[in-house]
Amino acid sequence: MKQQRKAALPRYGEYNCVLKYLVEQGFETQCILPPPLTRRTEEIGARNSPDLVCTPFKTLLGSMIEALEAGADVLIMVLGACRLNYFGELQEQILRDMGYSFDFVNLSLYNTGKKRDILRMLKVINPRRSLVKAGKALYDAIQMVQHLDDITSLYYQNCGFDPTGTYPKIYRKFVSDLYDARNLTEIREAYRNASHAFADVNLRKPEDPIRIGIIGDYYTVMDPFSNLEIEQKLADMGVEVHRLMNLSNDMLRNTNNRNKQAVIRRFSEYSMGANSTSDIWQAQYYAERHFDGVIQVKSACCMPETDIMPVLANLSREYKMPILYLTYDSQTSDVGLMTRLEAFYDMVEMRKKVTH
Amino acid sequence: MSENSLPAIGIPRALLYYRYGALWEHFFRALGVSTVLSPPGSRGLLEAGAALAPDEGCLSLKMFIGHVDALIGRCERIFIPRYSNYGYTELFCTRYEALYDQARNIFRSSGQRFITCNIDVQNGSPEGAAYERLGVELGHGARESRRAWREASRALEQRQKAEERAQKERVKQPGMKVLVAGHSYILSDPYMGKPVLDQLEKAGAVSLRADALEPETARKACARFSPTCRWIVSEEIVGGVSLWKEKVDGIILVSAFPCGPDSMTNELLIRRIKGIPILTLVLDTQSGTAGVETRLESFLDIIRFQRGEGV
Repeated sequence: MKQQRKAALPRYGEYNCVLKYLVEQGFETQCILPPPLTRRTEEIGARNSPDLVCTPFKTLLGSMIEALEAGADVLIMVLGACRLNYFGELQEQILRDMGYSFDFVNLSLYNTGKKRDILRMLKVINPRRSLVKAGKALYDAIQMVQHLDDITSLYYQNCGFDPTGTYPKIYRKFVSDLYDARNLTEIREAYRNASHAFADVNLRKPEDPIRIGIIGDYYTVMDPFSNLEIEQKLADMGVEVHRLMNLSNDMLRNTNNRNKQAVIRRFSEYSMGANSTSDIWQAQYYAERHFDGVIQVKSACCMPETDIMPVLANLSREYKMPILYLTYDSQTSDVGLMTRLEAFYDMVEMRKKVTH
Repeated sequence: MSENSLPAIGIPRALLYYRYGALWEHFFRALGVSTVLSPPGSRGLLEAGAALAPDEGCLSLKMFIGHVDALIGRCERIFIPRYSNYGYTELFCTRYEALYDQARNIFRSSGQRFITCNIDVQNGSPEGAAYERLGVELGHGARESRRAWREASRALEQRQKAEERAQKERVKQPGMKVLVAGHSYILSDPYMGKPVLDQLEKAGAVSLRADALEPETARKACARFSPTCRWIVSEEIVGGVSLWKEKVDGIILVSAFPCGPDSMTNELLIRRIKGIPILTLVLDTQSGTAGVETRLESFLDIIRFQRGEGV
């Protein structure tokens, strides 16, 4: 009997529950989860990657290695707007040179803008299964991403003001429910349970809490391991943490980048590459709503994020809103980050007292 | 001095200038627009740029900002085109996309005016239309601008063909041949890449440029060698290396710290090309030339040894 193939995608925040759902329900292929990201993941990734590539490349490569160690025999790699488009090809080459054998589905190969190639891509992932089933799973997955992002936003906005300590428990339960969900009903139920449970907690929130907005590159800002759980750290200091940058907002809800560009025209006339338009737009969004500060979370060597720094500097000057620029590489330690966050918090808090 | 006596357009002699400069100069000349070019790349320009550009930007970005800085107040408008893409799979490094807005933001308080030319086929702005708009913005007729662009791109094409012909002559020369692969704005820059080429010549090696090929030929070769490489400039370098590699004794990959596309394509080249010595040189802001010289010397020794010439 032919053994069933086990597919895997590298870790990407908690979005793996969505990817797993899509692969298992839509393509009826068993999907295994790589182990959670650790220092080891980053180390083996960095050891086998080129030096000057951005950190997400290294982390993803490390996660792929761990997926292969965990028994995966098909690796799927996504595509993107910057160097991400080229990740798959180089990572496959590196893994083959390391001696691993596996099937590799590089979605970037089919990203040519031609409809024919999109159909070919669907066939490669899913040679026999029906497109109807895949379409239905895609619909469910889209709901799932939005539920996940909504609950996550709610969590980081409020968990710093929960005196009972139940917020983290609810959130963890919600995420693990999503990993186990097998249909839309279960997804919706998990969402309902979590939002009701959140609503039942009595928050002790001041009238005008310190609010900090987070922006940054697609991977580092959305992956808590890669950004050293910056949102949790800030929330623990008693900050209302906002992060508009998530998959729902950027790929499903507000996708009209032309209109975003029109809003930020004063600072940037054209797209500056990848998600830079959204980033600047979000920073301005926070500024116009009188947030107390913005933190830019980017990986070392990220090109678009580096390019928008002068823009952010002008935005910060004009709106008189402090911005903290953080760069993450594979050696970043907790302690250094903590010191900088505390200093930023103190400054922001002092400003708030003076200006109000 | 009244403002009218300033040249209308200033062109920074960096980055895409080394690729499209012939086109730009021809275009402006055909329209009768006066231009001024920033001085050749130097340590001073790089230092000025490094002080102004984001710390994590690449060496060539810092150099570019230095060139822009040198033009501030010396022309009416500084020309920074935005090359984004020629279509869905023909992209440029995001840095060129961002250049115009980035420079405008860095020099915001200077009051300097900038002008761009947006080449972004994905969003309905192909090259011809973009240059036409540029001409119109400078006060010329649409038709006249279109004609100027057409002439200018023919001039560029001829230059590329001439480069390929010249290189084909050089390949026939006897002696040790070394293929130098790198962005034209690194290799042709008198401060960054030229010392490397000069030293090769001095050591008696024939240096060949990977990108001295007709772009179409190179890009087709790249599609075979590395199908998902989508940056036009890198494609030409990678394709060039894959075509010229049979004819040379060694390959030098010259890159700027920390060049995004190079960080990946160079790794791929090293992994996929076997049997030819390859040296990777990453140039950064601190470069004294001594380190580069030592590495080049020992690399050439390896090649001589392989060719059986002894050391």
